[in-house]
Amino acid sequence: MLMLALESSAKAASAAIFEDGAMLGLSVANAGLTHSRTLLPMAEDLLKNLDKRITDLDVVAVAQGPGSFTGLRIGLSEAKGLCWALEIPVIGVSTLEAMAWGGPDMEGAMLCCAMDARRSQVYNALFTVKNGHPQRLTADRAISVDELKDELKASEKPWILLGDGAALCYNILNAEPGLTLHLAPEPLRIQSARGVGLAAQDKEPVPPEALLPVYLRLSQAERERQARMKE
Amino acid sequence: MLILSVESSCDETAVALVEDGRRVLTDQIFSQVALHKIYGGVVPEIAARSHLEVIVQLADRALAEARVSRREIDAVACTYAPGLIGAVLVGVNFAKSAALALGVPLIPVHHIRGHIAANYIAYPELEPPFLCLAISGGNTMLVDVRGYTDMRVLGRTRDDAAGECFDKSARVMGLGYPGGKPIDDLSQTGDDHRYDLPRPYVGDNPFDMSFSGLKTSVVNIVHHCEQTGEELDKPGLAASLCRAVSESLVGRTMEAAGMLGYRHIAVAGGVAANSRIRRDFRAACEREGKTLYTPPMRLCGDNGAMIGAQGYYEYLAGTRANSDLNAYATMEL
Repeated sequence: MLMLALESSAKAASAAIFEDGAMLGLSVANAGLTHSRTLLPMAEDLLKNLDKRITDLDVVAVAQGPGSFTGLRIGLSEAKGLCWALEIPVIGVSTLEAMAWGGPDMEGAMLCCAMDARRSQVYNALFTVKNGHPQRLTADRAISVDELKDELKASEKPWILLGDGAALCYNILNAEPGLTLHLAPEPLRIQSARGVGLAAQDKEPVPPEALLPVYLRLSQAERERQARMKE
Repeated sequence: MLILSVESSCDETAVALVEDGRRVLTDQIFSQVALHKIYGGVVPEIAARSHLEVIVQLADRALAEARVSRREIDAVACTYAPGLIGAVLVGVNFAKSAALALGVPLIPVHHIRGHIAANYIAYPELEPPFLCLAISGGNTMLVDVRGYTDMRVLGRTRDDAAGECFDKSARVMGLGYPGGKPIDDLSQTGDDHRYDLPRPYVGDNPFDMSFSGLKTSVVNIVHHCEQTGEELDKPGLAASLCRAVSESLVGRTMEAAGMLGYRHIAVAGGVAANSRIRRDFRAACEREGKTLYTPPMRLCGDNGAMIGAQGYYEYLAGTRANSDLNAYATMEL
């Protein structure tokens, strides 16, 4: 069972190849170039370097959001194009859940996954590590750092912060009494296709036309229109 | 040679299968007009989201309708510029991944070159050289088509595209979006001399055009009527506008054809659907002994077939891209 995993929800883009659940290779680009230029060449080179052909792929896994709207669409368009052409299914994985799978896996660890959602919010979900795997404590949501603070305080254990919004949360909440926060080490902190591939292992594949991004947010035009309707 | 072609530069998603550049096996088009109507224009983020939702279904339908299997596809072509960047990215990334997975060449196509190539589908006998006026909601340019992939822009709009002028005028006249069709319909019963509208000429290049002044004049007339209570003659304004746009376009095009000594004149793009522009071009070409090519309505708007048509000639000319192909909002022809 050969799987290509793709991650393009934020600044770094990455691709990974998994065979029967084990990662054979990982490629990461974090130079600020558009994912449209880097993501597919990384997948192509990985396959070549691992002596695999693209037609050997059985499934593609992709981070389906939340995240940068454009970044997500690049990853999903590529996953859809590959799966459509190869006639193989696709697995969409929550960006935040993938982050948790890519993070530290000490038993009982509390994981707080966060991405900068702008507009003074973070995309966030909370997990705890049980039997070696992240177990979900909350759904994915867009939440203010202030609201997040109250939820984190409900647990007495220290929280490990993950994701490209981890530093943002750490800087705002670090001085908060009754809260112990640890920034995950850099290589584990940013979202990666490794986490996508790990999280995808127990997920049900779907046909590529059924795969939809999870933006967790309407477009600006829709938000403004809804606000006007309410007035 | 069978090409799968993908178009997603604005508010139409399309996947087509075209053989040897001229024979269209199928062209599956999803128009987003209904999604953007309530906003009075195309919303880029909504457009990009919609492209991603429908692209696989269109590709599946294209194969089914043409009764073609993936293995019969010889190359994949896609619009890579110009357009709404978020929208173009969806088509580019889908297309290049499909090409890589199918193990076939990837051919990047300039969207306006595609509009010009729509004529090859409609007119099997048409071959370069000819003069083409490409007029749409986002672009207005006069092109010397010296060869299938050898083009020179003679003139272009300095500001708004002709289609933008129609859309913005329609909006201020309360006709909704998109504006081309309702203005065309209204103009049928109007007096085209009712309102005096400008025909701007721009400095150094006689073939360059400008439509923002025209649009502003329409806005001013509508506002003047609102403020003074004078009744607005909408059909008259629509007809005067169509005449002004047409005269801006037709005169320059005929002059350029005369200068180059070309007998063949093609008109392409969504605004080529305007009946006044078509009529004036027909009359001018008859008068001057030129042959006019205007693609049927379904090939005037954005579609996948035109990208497959141009993609074929790009392929013959050696145009190729790799898996690092990017999308661009703007790009020289």
